Amino acid sequence: MEYFIDLLGRLNPFDTIQVILWGLAGVMSFYFSIGNARVWTSISLGFFLVFLSQAYLMNPFAESYYKLSAFHYIIGTVAIMVITHGFLEYYVFCRTFEISGKKFIVYLTTAFILAGSGVFLAINPTPSPNTIRNIKMVENSIWVFLSLMNLELIRKIYVAIKDSTISKGFFAFGIVFLCIFLWKGSELYLQVYQWDKEWLEIITLTDEESNIEDFIGRVQFSQLVSRYAALCSGFSVGGTFVYIYRLLR
Amino acid sequence: MFLLPKGNPLFENLAVSKLKLPEVLLKLSTGNFTGYASFVFQSSTTILVFESGKLVSALLEQNNGSRQTGFEAISSLVDLMVTSGNGILNVYKLSKDLTMCIHALLQGEILYKAQELKLIDIKTLLEKIKSDQMNGCLRIYTNERSAIIFYKDGNPLGFFHDGSHDIETSSTESQKIAGLPGAKIDLYSTQGIEELMGVDLLEVVNIQKIWDTAISLNQTEKDKTGKEREERDRKIAALKLADLEEQVKVIVTEYVGKVGRGVVDKELADQGGNACLMDETRVVRFIAGIERSAKLLIGATSIKAMMEKLSSAIATANHNL
Repeated sequence: MEYFIDLLGRLNPFDTIQVILWGLAGVMSFYFSIGNARVWTSISLGFFLVFLSQAYLMNPFAESYYKLSAFHYIIGTVAIMVITHGFLEYYVFCRTFEISGKKFIVYLTTAFILAGSGVFLAINPTPSPNTIRNIKMVENSIWVFLSLMNLELIRKIYVAIKDSTISKGFFAFGIVFLCIFLWKGSELYLQVYQWDKEWLEIITLTDEESNIEDFIGRVQFSQLVSRYAALCSGFSVGGTFVYIYRLLR
Repeated sequence: MFLLPKGNPLFENLAVSKLKLPEVLLKLSTGNFTGYASFVFQSSTTILVFESGKLVSALLEQNNGSRQTGFEAISSLVDLMVTSGNGILNVYKLSKDLTMCIHALLQGEILYKAQELKLIDIKTLLEKIKSDQMNGCLRIYTNERSAIIFYKDGNPLGFFHDGSHDIETSSTESQKIAGLPGAKIDLYSTQGIEELMGVDLLEVVNIQKIWDTAISLNQTEKDKTGKEREERDRKIAALKLADLEEQVKVIVTEYVGKVGRGVVDKELADQGGNACLMDETRVVRFIAGIERSAKLLIGATSIKAMMEKLSSAIATANHNL
């Protein structure tokens, strides 16, 4: 208990709020997926996985166990892929009005990919902090790329169904992905230029030098964008699902 | 059509639609029938006169007075029997002498036609009939009444007048009509029975062939008409279905938005076209498909209202189809 209170004391309040918001969004999205069509299953499950990936911030074992830490980032990567799959299916529906497949397959496939990733981590050497940073960078890259793709998909979906009840919900998803793009994009920017927290920790062990002091302004701005965009993402996802739930009632 | 004495009725009011002329004629022919058969239709009457099983005359008279005889009459009778759904057959047995007179009345040589009685010497005429030993009949008539006197070898066989069913022996009615102002006469003569017996239309005309041809033509006509009706019905049904499809699209679009038209098109295509809207099983699958798609676009309340409206529109249209 003392350890847990100590851990909470060391947590950044922003991180705590972020995890709580993503937790609420995860619950909302998962609840939403239960009574709705399969297309929503992918989208909802994906956002629920975002919560699981963000939960590392409050996972007392994440920092100590590198493999667990890496697994959180892999979950994050799978999350955006599942979400994109959902929006792609919705877009296909808008163009062809074809609805196929079963919810069960979505759950099973996601579980299979996560289990496979777990096995991949288990059979490979424990990742170093540098490896974990690389995994996180890959996750952010995928998030940035797929967020842009999802924004385009959402635009097309909105155009196709703009006079139907749910179209405003897709407008809200547009805001969500804009926030996510800023969040993940700013993180990726810091990682690419080696101004991120993880890299700075790594170079303290390798005696390498950083040029962060020369660009402190843009670094701080990027950190600010990342922090608030992450909060807005969690908040907007929860809000969007509540909104869509009300629209479809 | 002339009123003819009924003699001894063998059949009366037989439905012509159930009869085949070759069979009727064969039966009368093999039965050595003497008398006449009348086929009464709405627009015409045909009289076939038989002497000992031989068809000695055939006459078809339209209601407007136009007449056909012999082959033409038989051919027209066949057409009428094949194409007309109504008509009755009466068969009356008569004596040979009277049958000969009926033949004279129908197809005999016309010696006087619409001759005003006051302009001729009736006494001399009757004496001439007697002296010439004429076979035939003398018809005396006004605009309102008529009477026929049948002669064999110049001697009266009997008298027949409007309102009676059979030959009478009294000449009273005939004399009364002859005394009426404006009375006219027709005088028909015919050959004797022996000469008449030399004629048999059944030997000249291939009734079976005429009948078969008429049946075949009628069938072709019926098939053609049936196909035309089918095609017309199909077109009407297609139009009604198109209307229903449009109605369904309007309802779905009203709730779902313009994307609704595409949803309806896709679901109709999945169910094999808009004909599924008339099929109880497929319409259920169609509506379920619409509902499944609508769940991705609109709320449960709207879906419920849309489903009710859809079901009602389809049910009403099916009722009217």
